[in-house]
Amino acid sequence: MDGACCGPGYGSPQEAIKAPREKLLYTIAIYTGTGIQKPDYLATVDVDPASPTYSQVIHRLEMPGIGDELHHMGWNACSSCHDDSSMSRKYLILPGVRSNNLHIVDTATDPRAPRLHKVIDGAEIKAKADLSGPHTVHCLGSEIIISFLGNAKGEAPGGYLHLDKEFNIVGRWENSMGDIKFGYDFWYQPRHNVMVSSEWAAPNTFMPGFDLEEVGHLKYGRELHFWDFEKREPIESFYLGEDGLLPLEVKFHHDPDSTHGFCGAALSTNVIHWWKDSDDTWKWEKIIDVENEMHPEWPIPLPGVMSAILISMDDKYLYLNNWLHGDMRQYDITDPHNPKLTGQVFMGGLLGKAPVVNGVEVAGGPQMFQLSLDGRRLYVTTSLFSTWDNQFYPEIREKGGVMVMIDCDPENGGMKINEDFIVDFGKEPNGPSRCHESRYPGGDCTSDIWL
Amino acid sequence: MTTHTVTLGNRGGAIYEVNDRRPLLEQLRNHGVDLPYGCEYGGCITCAAKLTAGTVDQRRQVALNNRQIANGYVILCVARATSDITLEIGVESHDKLYRNPFLDPLKPHELKADIATPKEG
Repeated sequence: MDGACCGPGYGSPQEAIKAPREKLLYTIAIYTGTGIQKPDYLATVDVDPASPTYSQVIHRLEMPGIGDELHHMGWNACSSCHDDSSMSRKYLILPGVRSNNLHIVDTATDPRAPRLHKVIDGAEIKAKADLSGPHTVHCLGSEIIISFLGNAKGEAPGGYLHLDKEFNIVGRWENSMGDIKFGYDFWYQPRHNVMVSSEWAAPNTFMPGFDLEEVGHLKYGRELHFWDFEKREPIESFYLGEDGLLPLEVKFHHDPDSTHGFCGAALSTNVIHWWKDSDDTWKWEKIIDVENEMHPEWPIPLPGVMSAILISMDDKYLYLNNWLHGDMRQYDITDPHNPKLTGQVFMGGLLGKAPVVNGVEVAGGPQMFQLSLDGRRLYVTTSLFSTWDNQFYPEIREKGGVMVMIDCDPENGGMKINEDFIVDFGKEPNGPSRCHESRYPGGDCTSDIWL
Repeated sequence: MTTHTVTLGNRGGAIYEVNDRRPLLEQLRNHGVDLPYGCEYGGCITCAAKLTAGTVDQRRQVALNNRQIANGYVILCVARATSDITLEIGVESHDKLYRNPFLDPLKPHELKADIATPKEG
């Protein structure tokens, strides 16, 4: 599955693009907050068009407990240890945002039927590291760091948990959180000794649901933070103001020499671009601004809510979602200062532009997505977070989530919903569940980093 | 230690005895009641239930805004009974818990306690 060399992953982004096509995909599916008292699970989806079970869930690995709220996940190893033959991309780490448990899942012994390897108890993490609300998982050479959004009581800013490669708790990774007020996502670019982190809110603020009024009371983030990666401490912060309300996902270019990176500010529904300028200082600018839309019956203009962004492995395209408007967009970022809109499709959303996709009523809007390494297939799911789903799309409780595939044209730009693929999580055996983040066994566009 | 009764209005009126020292979630689970829960520190709202009679002490909760409290919601993982009470439990009781903030904004006095301003007049 991985490249021809020694360790996991690929020697370069160019090599990753040439990897064999994905045949399996893992996606989180949750029952937390649905009223169905069953564990959240990791679903294996067959994405091999030659297979008789194409476009179906072929395996479900239930977590041991109920109410974890699985959300994001990450690999134990990626291309950052491509030169280390003792490592392999074998384990997926699945944090429970609410339970604080970390589930270590073995995907290599039988890739179609992943099995639970180990659970790191949430109470142990609270006791040893004073952290709760786990989010982003990145491997770091042979070790793992995970952002947590709160302390053991759910208060911001939380910090970073450091695990060794046997999944033992080393302790806190960072030496200092500086003046950082909130945590969320992070990405690092080792050749420039930099990590960038973003801000959502304290677990006690975002977990119960979204009160718009709390944004004005500064309970949600609006800053980006640049870290000295080796010293493990923040050195510079950018206050994004109204342009950067709820700065969530951060991505650097895959090219390890590049200093360009991007962040989607969810509530402002803007893309922020940063880079290191010729004078050796970090600069930022807003490069995409999705206008609010008026809903005919509502008093407040509706933002797109850009909860995720993704950069294609060739660094040519940026993909973003507007969870409330219902559209996925593709921008050509060959010139990262001047993105060009090259594709757009609607699936669900509150504006009523695409209530049905391939015969399935879509509850929710485009939310999380994963792009194939060759940049041609974008898999999109519809649930954001159980309590936020319940506020904006209450019908998702009966209808469940859905996974859609969008065909993307990496040569000329453009996107189109694939008519032969749809996975309706409303028809799951235990009742409607909600699908969220997805990953491929061979690595993907949102995990691999090159040293 | 004082004991009280908990009546589950949407579980056929089942009645359980609880003390006033331990959180309701822990005691009801020990009685075998199947309840959703998450953080167990009063911050994530997963275990919210609707109080339709009686009183609780839920000073440790930080998940609910004042509108949700006015609608009767209590956070079972930190709430303790201070009288005999009646609850509706589970997601079926969450009809007024979630609200689209763009359709139905909160008034200043309806925010969470730490940022709410007193109702005028």
